[in-house]
Amino acid sequence: MITFDQVSKRFGERVALDSVSWNMNEGECVVFLGHSGAGKTTVLRLITHETLPTTGRVVVGTFQGSRLTRRQRALLRRTLGIIYEDFRLLGDRTVFENVALAVRIAGHFRDDEVIPRVLYALDEVGLKGVQAAYPHELSAGEKQRAAIARAIVNRPAVILADEPTGALEPQSARDVLTLLQKIHLEGAALLLVTTRREVAEVLPGRVIELREGCVISDEERGGAPRVRAARAPGESDASMEA
Amino acid sequence: MFFFHLREALRSFRHHRGLATTAIVALTAVLTLAGLFLVLDYNAQVALQFIGDRREMVVYLKDDVTEIQRNALIQRLAQLYGTATYVSKDDAWHEFTLQVGDPQLLEAVDQNPLPSSLRVHLRAELLNAPAMAAAAKQVQQFPEVEDVRYGAEWVRRLDDLNSGLRRGALTAGAAVGLLAILIIYNTIRLTVLARRHPIEIMSRLGATDAFVARPFVIEALIEALIAAALALGILFGAQEAVASQWLTSVVFIPWTWAVAFAGATLALAWLAATLALSRVLRAVGA
Repeated sequence: MITFDQVSKRFGERVALDSVSWNMNEGECVVFLGHSGAGKTTVLRLITHETLPTTGRVVVGTFQGSRLTRRQRALLRRTLGIIYEDFRLLGDRTVFENVALAVRIAGHFRDDEVIPRVLYALDEVGLKGVQAAYPHELSAGEKQRAAIARAIVNRPAVILADEPTGALEPQSARDVLTLLQKIHLEGAALLLVTTRREVAEVLPGRVIELREGCVISDEERGGAPRVRAARAPGESDASMEA
Repeated sequence: MFFFHLREALRSFRHHRGLATTAIVALTAVLTLAGLFLVLDYNAQVALQFIGDRREMVVYLKDDVTEIQRNALIQRLAQLYGTATYVSKDDAWHEFTLQVGDPQLLEAVDQNPLPSSLRVHLRAELLNAPAMAAAAKQVQQFPEVEDVRYGAEWVRRLDDLNSGLRRGALTAGAAVGLLAILIIYNTIRLTVLARRHPIEIMSRLGATDAFVARPFVIEALIEALIAAALALGILFGAQEAVASQWLTSVVFIPWTWAVAFAGATLALAWLAATLALSRVLRAVGA
């Protein structure tokens, strides 16, 4: 479903990702864990084609190759549901309109299908009562749930979540993670990036740890490591073993 | 889906009222200027048409032309060039005496020296200098004809004036069209830049350029339509004022011209918005 084959990404002299290879299957849950600047968000940006790899190959479903047209790129993004740390809701639209926008963009549904679809998604995230509210009237947790509703409303095959609990207080963070787990259990693949180990521990599936652009571990939760990856630049064998 | 994009356009219009109003005012000013040239050109055409209608060709007949020959000639001229009216020698003399005014001045003339003639009211398509010259040359070849006059120099000047006005209107129209494109281009560009954040979000949700662009194109068309209506309203008001106060002969452009004017404005708006969006969306929608 998603494959990174020897992918490197450089921004000038800085190496964001260094020859990273991994893949993710349908319905799988993968958490990318790493400190700030480890290359987690670059992974997401490569998947959504916001940026291109310097070397290597990124395959997302049937989309592969480094040079998609703008139309192909739009089609690729419609197969994904994306959740951001800062929610990225449109402030001049209600919660309902924010979610409906994703349905309109997908373009698969008739006008009379939009309303029930949006209401169903809002119901799933527990926001049916605040559909007429504007983002500035919501708490951070509610905003993130609205963003999740927008991400799932078109039933994408993969949900990408970029530090979805980063701006939330503990209870809201737990609620959001529970919601994401539920969506994953219903069949969607989930790829989440986070700096918090406790977030990675809550979710099922694999945890891929990044450090300075390199995969340093790829472990199935509760199982043996799938990859014992190359160490981060400048890291000794001793520190790896420690 | 059209109503969705229309709502989006109106939303953008509301959010950027200042920018939209500035664009409409600037566009109205430019279109009023363009419309003014259009009204002037139309009035000049009406005036020239009136003058042109009075253009005629005078065919002087030989003295020995019989009535049968003359009638045959009238029929042939009517078929080829336009309605011909016979002016006998006596009629011509009578007109001449009326023009001179003082009969004593003509006492020395013992015999009517004026020839009989046919005055040909030419068909519309022949009311220009080259066509009239060609017609005069052909008529000159008829055996019954002594001479042909049509005021060649006067007709040529009239034609020059007409084409000068037309060229002026076209030049002004082109310049104003370019200005209108620049205004709409920059307005849409600024609006898109002001809405950079929502556009980025839409782009990340998988919106195509066409999906993002459609509301902006509709917004440009709305602004252009409002500006065109205002410009036509201002011009109509000005024409009414001038016609009632000073020049009653001044008329407003026909409604077909007004519709064409609005249509051309919409076409320019579409072109400018499409050009602006094709450039700016690549920069904004990452």
